[in-house]
Amino acid sequence: MEASSLTTVIVGSGFALGAVFGFVANKTNFCTMGAISDVVNMEHWGRMRAWLLAMAVAMIGVNALGYAGSVNFSETLYASKNFYWLSYIVGGLCFGVGMTLAGGCANKNLVRLGGGNLRSLVVLFIMGFAAIVTMKGMLGTFRINVLQSPFGTVHFENGQLLPALFAGADAAGAQTMQLALTGALALAIVIFVYKDGRFRKSLDNNLAALIVGAIVVGGWYVTGHLGLAENPETLEMTYFGTNSNRPESMSFVAPSAYSLEYFAYSTDVSKIITFGIATVFGVALGSLVYALASKSFRWEAFSSVQDMSYHIIGAVLMGFGAVTAAGCTIGQGVTGISTLSLGSLLALVSIIAGSAITMKIQLAMME
Amino acid sequence: MNFDKELNARGLSCPLPIVKTKKSLADMTTGQVLKVISTDCGSLKDMAAFSEQTGNPLLSTVEENGEYVFYVKKK
Repeated sequence: MEASSLTTVIVGSGFALGAVFGFVANKTNFCTMGAISDVVNMEHWGRMRAWLLAMAVAMIGVNALGYAGSVNFSETLYASKNFYWLSYIVGGLCFGVGMTLAGGCANKNLVRLGGGNLRSLVVLFIMGFAAIVTMKGMLGTFRINVLQSPFGTVHFENGQLLPALFAGADAAGAQTMQLALTGALALAIVIFVYKDGRFRKSLDNNLAALIVGAIVVGGWYVTGHLGLAENPETLEMTYFGTNSNRPESMSFVAPSAYSLEYFAYSTDVSKIITFGIATVFGVALGSLVYALASKSFRWEAFSSVQDMSYHIIGAVLMGFGAVTAAGCTIGQGVTGISTLSLGSLLALVSIIAGSAITMKIQLAMME
Repeated sequence: MNFDKELNARGLSCPLPIVKTKKSLADMTTGQVLKVISTDCGSLKDMAAFSEQTGNPLLSTVEENGEYVFYVKKK
């Protein structure tokens, strides 16, 4: 296949996967911030179980792809040899605080935008801008020189995926470890999730978990397997259609930033529509389709200065936080986790902590 | 519809309307009705899920002029 048509396939697949994600997330009320809020404020674990099950489904699919040799996960961002612990913690905490102030994570804001929420449009623009500033701009220097300085970094020779961490350079041992870890973790999650009778009966939560998990696996397959081909210019095997030139799957902050960049600089021939950009638009459009079909589309705007300022602060923290933590509640929380990356685990725990602490403060301020 | 207490959740974003609803219901007695007014359209789904999860019946949902009015009975 020619490089341009291969990229079209990758981008088209990203758009389709994103659209299904948006449609299902809107229909089922899948929401990572909502999941944390339900646990912290209501002691209800339904949506948290859905999120956990999505991780387990993704984990099983991804490690099957890895075991079969279809996708080389050691070439992904999540397997990086540099374990930026300080960056994952600070970024994760900021993202957690941010999503709680901004009415939801990046994915939820895309879903809300599809439902007619103009607050989310403002959040997404500001979040995307803050992400660019953190990737390549003024905050990028701070991120690299302070948060990702040698003090905040541990170097793992075999990368930070748990199987390689435990098994060292022994490739066969790492493969056995991969099977054992995936099996143990996925089984523990499945037992925890399905021991709850209410979850077993909740069609929405089950649907959300299975579809989101499957979409993440699909994304990896598209970019990491279909997208790997010989570059006609360099004659080297190259990953086509992604911004990172590596395998990618669902993640929503950096792709929102790349979407803004694409709009601003699209006459620059090096800027192309990528898998990530396509997923961003796919999610919003899929959600719009559901909103129109279910007659739940409503225009919404900020209700007060306080409402708007919370959303703006939240958006900045999400943009900064996700780039610093190398992902959001989906990018790290499902996609990264599915690769069994230590950094993803640390980032996810930090995001949940940041969000839960903010909720506790909000609750205390109400009294 | 008659109600015993009113909660003004206008201008609050998810998840605060639900959190405030839970707190308000905690101070009420069985059978009393709480009226909640929200401007966040996410509350439509959230309030239905809240009622289902907690067993406090959602008696009615009315949407008018961009506001959502819910009547929740304390179980």
